[in-house]
Amino acid sequence: MNHDIDIKKLRINCFRQSKVAGEFMLQLRVPGSLIEAKYLQIVQDIAQNWGNGTFHIGMRQTLNIPGIKYENIEEVNKYIKNYIHDIEVEMCDVDMDVNEHGYPTIGARNIMSCIGNSHCIKANVNTYQLARKIEKLIFPSHYHIKVSIAGCPNDCAKGHFNDFGIMGIAKMEYHQERCIGCGACVRACEHHATRVLSLNKDGKIDKDTCCCVGCGECVIACPTSAWTRQEKTFYRVTLGGRTGKQYPRMGKIFLNWISEEALLQVFGNWQKFSAWVMDNKPEYLHGGHLIDISGYPKFKELILDGVELNPECLVAEELYWTENEQRANIHLKPLSQHKKAGPKE
Amino acid sequence: MGYKVDFKQMNHIFEQLSDEYDIYAPKRFKKQGRYSDTDIVRYDRVENIEDVVFDQKSDYPAKEVLSPITQPLFYFTEDEYRESKVNDKKILIFMRPCDVHAMERQNRVYLQNGGFEDFYYKRLQEKVKIVLMECCTGWDTCFCVSMGTNKTDEYSIGVRCLDNELLVEVKDDEFNSYFEDAANDDFKVEFIEKNQIEVKIPEIKDKEVLAKLKEHPMWQSFNSRCISCGACTIACSTCTCFTTTDIMYNENMNIGERKRTSASCQIDGFSDMAGGHSFRPTAGDRMRYKILHKFHDYKARFKDYHMCVGCGRCTSRCPEYISVTKTVEKMAAAIEEIEREGK
Amino acid sequence: MNNPVKPIPCEIIDIKKESLLEYTFKVKTDIQPDHGQFLQLSIPKIGEAPISVSAHGEGWMDFTIRSVGKVTDEIFNKQVGDTLFLRGPYGHGWPVEDEFKGKHLVVVTGGTGLAPVRSMLNTCFENDGYVKSLTLISGFKNEEGIIFKEELKKWKEKFTTYYTLDRDKIDGWNVGFVTDYVKEVPFDSFDGNYAVVVVGPPIMMKLTAEKIMSLGVPEEKIWVSFERKMSCAVGKCGHCRIDETYVCLDGPVFNYTKAKYLVD
Repeated sequence: MNHDIDIKKLRINCFRQSKVAGEFMLQLRVPGSLIEAKYLQIVQDIAQNWGNGTFHIGMRQTLNIPGIKYENIEEVNKYIKNYIHDIEVEMCDVDMDVNEHGYPTIGARNIMSCIGNSHCIKANVNTYQLARKIEKLIFPSHYHIKVSIAGCPNDCAKGHFNDFGIMGIAKMEYHQERCIGCGACVRACEHHATRVLSLNKDGKIDKDTCCCVGCGECVIACPTSAWTRQEKTFYRVTLGGRTGKQYPRMGKIFLNWISEEALLQVFGNWQKFSAWVMDNKPEYLHGGHLIDISGYPKFKELILDGVELNPECLVAEELYWTENEQRANIHLKPLSQHKKAGPKE
Repeated sequence: MGYKVDFKQMNHIFEQLSDEYDIYAPKRFKKQGRYSDTDIVRYDRVENIEDVVFDQKSDYPAKEVLSPITQPLFYFTEDEYRESKVNDKKILIFMRPCDVHAMERQNRVYLQNGGFEDFYYKRLQEKVKIVLMECCTGWDTCFCVSMGTNKTDEYSIGVRCLDNELLVEVKDDEFNSYFEDAANDDFKVEFIEKNQIEVKIPEIKDKEVLAKLKEHPMWQSFNSRCISCGACTIACSTCTCFTTTDIMYNENMNIGERKRTSASCQIDGFSDMAGGHSFRPTAGDRMRYKILHKFHDYKARFKDYHMCVGCGRCTSRCPEYISVTKTVEKMAAAIEEIEREGK
Repeated sequence: MNNPVKPIPCEIIDIKKESLLEYTFKVKTDIQPDHGQFLQLSIPKIGEAPISVSAHGEGWMDFTIRSVGKVTDEIFNKQVGDTLFLRGPYGHGWPVEDEFKGKHLVVVTGGTGLAPVRSMLNTCFENDGYVKSLTLISGFKNEEGIIFKEELKKWKEKFTTYYTLDRDKIDGWNVGFVTDYVKEVPFDSFDGNYAVVVVGPPIMMKLTAEKIMSLGVPEEKIWVSFERKMSCAVGKCGHCRIDETYVCLDGPVFNYTKAKYLVD
């Protein structure tokens, strides 16, 4: 067995080191987490020909095949060339050369998403279609970023624990003349959302628009279509969420009511921002940490640079995360150990 | 007379008709469905034939034209109630045969029941002329053939929609003049003869069976299944129930509006009285009340036919997948059971 | 075109407090209802409600209203000289001429159920021989709930009366439910020539009717009056419908042969 392996290089190639000596696990990207079922055959082939016969549904919704011996990696990479081409180039229109050496980078992590409105009755948006558009903007790049997309603010996709958590939301329209004052929306909002609706003395609905999360529960509950979603879809974006051994935290709202167009422009700036923070030298460091280093104001400046925000869009002026420090005073350290953003001298 | 017109010609006819008529038809409201990226089709004023949705059953019924979900009845001051007004245009409604029969059933309640004529319904209904939309295939929730509502003679104009032209049958002479420039065609409206669903409406032979049926445990299964949202009754072609409420424009001057709003027997509170009494406290009780009205009570009062026209909109709109025809089948089984035990 | 739901303004000519919660409004009107009919009473900004006529005469009508719900809450702000809006009368009242006149009449009421029989009782009181005899069994929850106190006293002069409160003991009143007193009525001595009127809350009517039938009274001799939510009172709004019956049109008074099947 070969005992001289550059595991960092393999990691970037999307092969993860196993505790079993000489074995690795391939992580196949599934941007938006929805692909044609025929690709399961590829997973099965790899697992049975080169792996240990099992596969794991990755925590970031990749398709993982463990037990691949180092010496087979070259062959596996040749085998997945078509898959990468189909998924990245054909499906996501990613601008990349697909060769026989497998994935060019692990940087931008697989974009996760819930099933979205291609299936779910609660969802406001088509999550996988958005994921495919974002994939084109952030992949392939060595700069790390974790993105997860939920079809509604219920956030089953757990975007709150990603660098960017995207939730599909809707602005509602109230057709008063169709309202029968049954109160189903009031109860739905109270039960599922933020209690922004109330029945007034005229038997119609009053709404506290400010606190509406845009989930659409009122539309789902309404028996008469008095509540409908506006045609245009919007997104809420949480920023800086993460898990981890040091200071896990939940993302906070960075953007609210942003249009898809503007949102894609924001992602278009990600690489530029990361490059500035890292002085063009990508490291194995997640997006949230880059924001920590630059500070939110600088992040905001760079990420919104040139972005044409839609008029409804609200942007957090400041962001104050609450971390769950895994040890007390975890941030106290010698000045020399502090990370520095921007050009190195 | 029969004609063949393309959409362009038809739009020209619409334009001419609009001098005298407001034209209502099922129209698509994009992305206004219950779930995101779904549409609804409901009745509204149309100006172009392209706006008329032929290839889909409307989610909401034609009754919204004559008995809108909300309508003002009176404007009042401290010492007077003044009736609301409507414009004096006549009304042309695109309807399928089931919708035409549904209007007949609503007429019974609004224009005949108890010898009272409803002023607000009548002033619209008496202006109505019908454009019958030929409906030969139906959809998977339709059961008009079982209810005997698949055919009708009650229409002024009948139409079949082809790719971008219409075949037209004019029965009401008044409308022939609009088609003077159109090519003649021997088109006659055809009717559906068989639905995907067939249902046999059981007879409830006497009050004793009815009383036992009301007590039958089958209704209780709806306590967990039905969420009492009332979507079925709003979607129903024949439901007429409403509530009257007063709203104030100005509290101090006591001026305001008395309005009528559709009500649903499925929604908790429908029977609530000022003193605190109410009836039918469970979803099962309310389902029983609705089903018996549609398939027994109405006919018991007005004789000759059942209230339900088999349009299936209640089934289509139910967010909890409660099928009206399956419910009738369960009721039929319950009646059989009651009669068997009664012997 | 005639609009059956258009309310007509009527002047309030007297307001009388009956009990803690009940007031009687006397309005000026030429409407002449039958005993037991009801009207739709409305007040601008609040809405409409069916209210039974508790007395009527030449040029006037009484409504006894309990302070429940928003309509009645608002009505207590009204004063003599103010306007109330009415439409009606509606429904079928008591079959006084056909079924009660010249017979022994037994009237059993619970709470405000006394209101829809009040005018009929007064007719019987004022016209000697109109009925052969009249037995009135009237029950109330408590002393605060007693209405028409003066008349209850007056009726004692000519009627056989049993007045009772559910639990409280006060002078001149029995304790218990009306169902406890129906056995006092000598139905056997009426020689079949009698009728029974029962009116009150739904459960009271059901239990009382059953009790009376257990004493050998045939159901066709029992008459009840229903109260239901109504928006229109003209058979359109659907709220009061029970099976094929519209309480507003076919009731509110029903013979028990029909009423027993009216299960909501």
